[in-house]
Amino acid sequence: MKIVVCLKQVPAKDAPLRPLPDGSGIREDVGYEMNEPDAYALEEALRRKEAGGGEVVALTLGPERASQILREALAKGADRALHLVSPPEARLDAAATAAAIAAALQRDASSSGAAAGSAAGGFDLVLTGLQSDDMGFAQTGVLLAERLGLPHATIIMQIEPAGSGLRVKRELEGGFFQSLEMPLPAVLTIQSGIHKLRYATLLGIKQAKNKPLAKIPLEELGVDTPNCQRMLRLFVPQKTKKTIMLDGPAPEIAARLLEHLRAAHLLPGS
Amino acid sequence: MQHPEMQADIVIVGAGPAGLACALRLAELYDRHNREHPDRPLQKENILVLEKGREPGAHLLSGAVMDPAAWRRLVPDFEQSQELAFTPVADDAVFALTARRAWPLPLTPPPLRNHDNFVISVNRLGQWLAARAEAAGVTIFPATAAVEPLWHRDQPQKMRGVRTGDKGLDRDGKQKSNFEPGYDLLAPVTVLAEGSRGSLTRQLLETLKLASVNPPLYSLGVKEIWELPAGRFPAGRVWHTLGWPLPPSQYGGGWIYGLPGNRVSIGLVTALEYADPRTDPHAYFQRFKTHPRVRALLQGGELRRYGAKTIPIGGWDSMPPLAGQGWMIAGDGAGLLNSQRLKGIHLALESGRLAAEAAYQAIALSEPRRLLEYAEAVRSGVIGRELYAVRNFHQGFERGLLAGLAHAGLQMLTRGRGLRRRYPAVAGHLRMRPLAEMPAAPPAPFQPDGKLTFDKLADLYYSGTRHEENQPPHLQVRDPGICTFRCSHEYGNPCQFFCPAAVYELIGEGGERRLQLHPSNCVHCKTCDFMDPYGIITWVPPEGGGGPNYEGM
Repeated sequence: MKIVVCLKQVPAKDAPLRPLPDGSGIREDVGYEMNEPDAYALEEALRRKEAGGGEVVALTLGPERASQILREALAKGADRALHLVSPPEARLDAAATAAAIAAALQRDASSSGAAAGSAAGGFDLVLTGLQSDDMGFAQTGVLLAERLGLPHATIIMQIEPAGSGLRVKRELEGGFFQSLEMPLPAVLTIQSGIHKLRYATLLGIKQAKNKPLAKIPLEELGVDTPNCQRMLRLFVPQKTKKTIMLDGPAPEIAARLLEHLRAAHLLPGS
Repeated sequence: MQHPEMQADIVIVGAGPAGLACALRLAELYDRHNREHPDRPLQKENILVLEKGREPGAHLLSGAVMDPAAWRRLVPDFEQSQELAFTPVADDAVFALTARRAWPLPLTPPPLRNHDNFVISVNRLGQWLAARAEAAGVTIFPATAAVEPLWHRDQPQKMRGVRTGDKGLDRDGKQKSNFEPGYDLLAPVTVLAEGSRGSLTRQLLETLKLASVNPPLYSLGVKEIWELPAGRFPAGRVWHTLGWPLPPSQYGGGWIYGLPGNRVSIGLVTALEYADPRTDPHAYFQRFKTHPRVRALLQGGELRRYGAKTIPIGGWDSMPPLAGQGWMIAGDGAGLLNSQRLKGIHLALESGRLAAEAAYQAIALSEPRRLLEYAEAVRSGVIGRELYAVRNFHQGFERGLLAGLAHAGLQMLTRGRGLRRRYPAVAGHLRMRPLAEMPAAPPAPFQPDGKLTFDKLADLYYSGTRHEENQPPHLQVRDPGICTFRCSHEYGNPCQFFCPAAVYELIGEGGERRLQLHPSNCVHCKTCDFMDPYGIITWVPPEGGGGPNYEGM
């Protein structure tokens, strides 16, 4: 099976984030890492390959620094990587990102000799995390499916082969799950925590250096899908509520509580 | 258990200034070798560098003002490193602090004159060197801890490489489903460049029964980066302070360095050789920020980063043997730090470079004994000259600040000698005195305000520290009974005070009182590894990738 897994580099979970003064984004003085749900998508892709053979291609779209997560994916066992390099100041929304990835997959297919007309560029399965830890839109995977003209399913917990397609388990609200069968090729967005993530071995890290990592400047793809979203402002929420702790013996607390309620005009007739 | 093996030319433990300088210089020597001897080429990918942090630089922390001489030798195309944003030191001053006043010294003492030096981020320096070394073809293994030296079976004095840590073990040491065994990395040359109080360095010295003349001595540096309103403190300004809040008997001092982007590096160094077990270096640092002068500076600013790290301050007579059969020690791990100038990065870089020269001889000529030349090159070269001249500086302060200044003056007149060739030193944990000998009233606990001053847990958030939670504890307390039944009475569990990351917590009351460990808070400063009065705490590397993330520090 030929699988492409779409990964995003996001600020490290423990990074102390700071909005830019103009609210257009965060300051870049933080560490970055692979988006956690994407790491599970990669793990699923590697397990599919181990079970049934084939190829795993790791793909990212992002500035130069994002190559780091591709090297990590190669070290864990991906066969090759595609880096769609965006200019540092570029801020693509989910629609523009999906358009660029779709174009890159089709281009990859024509360059690797697969049937040029095939929807997913010759890939049987496109995996990505269900959403990114930074923006959290959960849109890119779905829009990518639309761009590629493929069926998709989201929040995937489990994947099994079923005939010529797949049986997948989706997570719904409130502890419910949905099981459905779908044909291939398909786009799936993967839920975090469905497997234990593997570690890159030292041998894997060493071998990763000799695996192909293609860098494609975004402008070379010739995609002119404009952003559909515009971020107005990124800011730290203003504190609107304030908790007051009352200590002391119960009668005293009760009296002071009454005072506060009266002062806030929260008592009938006050 | 079977450990996969990997053969290499050299294993360098630690991607800091020393380890990366070694890797980079060795890669250059390989290039030259391959031009001159195309018939027997050397492979640069067989230069292995191990880094326990999640990426190179993640565990690097320093003030830092760097003497650029060694950097220029290592990176002659110095201009190209301008992207590192080295800030030339613009002006410097030293202040003597009392609780309310700051007295500028009329003359900046010569060792603290920093013209021609640079204010840098050692984290960025490490990241930059690592990228350059990788581009040169060196293999760097991030998130990979070396856990023990390996020895030749038939030559027990001869090192044959290191073993890396297992990954995917649970709390009880059982294998999880993603378990990966550690590797045995085998090479004729191993360089231990682990930084202050390296855990393999310690094992090596114990195994070979080697020791320095004086015991190793350490300080603990606690640092924050603040962002201030524009124009408050210019980039390149360097201030050092003496005195308050440290008592006169306590060696140490504060610093404030101006960084680009309206930021300052601010910190306080407390020597880990005090008598009162209730001494809390983190609290001293917080108090330092409440000095009127410092408070005014930080007013309206915001905390950005936090970190803490030990600093080897013993100098020349605390240096361990630097090389032996199959091994060399470089950088802070070898105690190469000038405590008078408060600088070690240049010595780390230089020692790494020298280790590469010796390693090349040993590898290319198959002459393992050439490693011993490294020890000689350090001791008799620029490093040794610098350290020998200040060999007694720190020990002169054993009896407090005033005596220390007198000794320092005398030493300056006698080229570092002072009253005798070698001032003796006592290991820090041996200078701690039981509570019974201390004033009965404990010092009032410091109350942070959450704006200017912070408790350890609040600060810890700004260190980016993270560990896999379900793993064997990496702080091994040999006999927890001593903590509960002896230490609590005799010393009052000083670990809860000296640890700058709130790893050690006493919970429960009265007879139920016991020590609770929070290893995932650990910032890898190593203080507990030598400062506990019974010597029962051993710091071992946690699963690779765990620890702080000192971005920009």
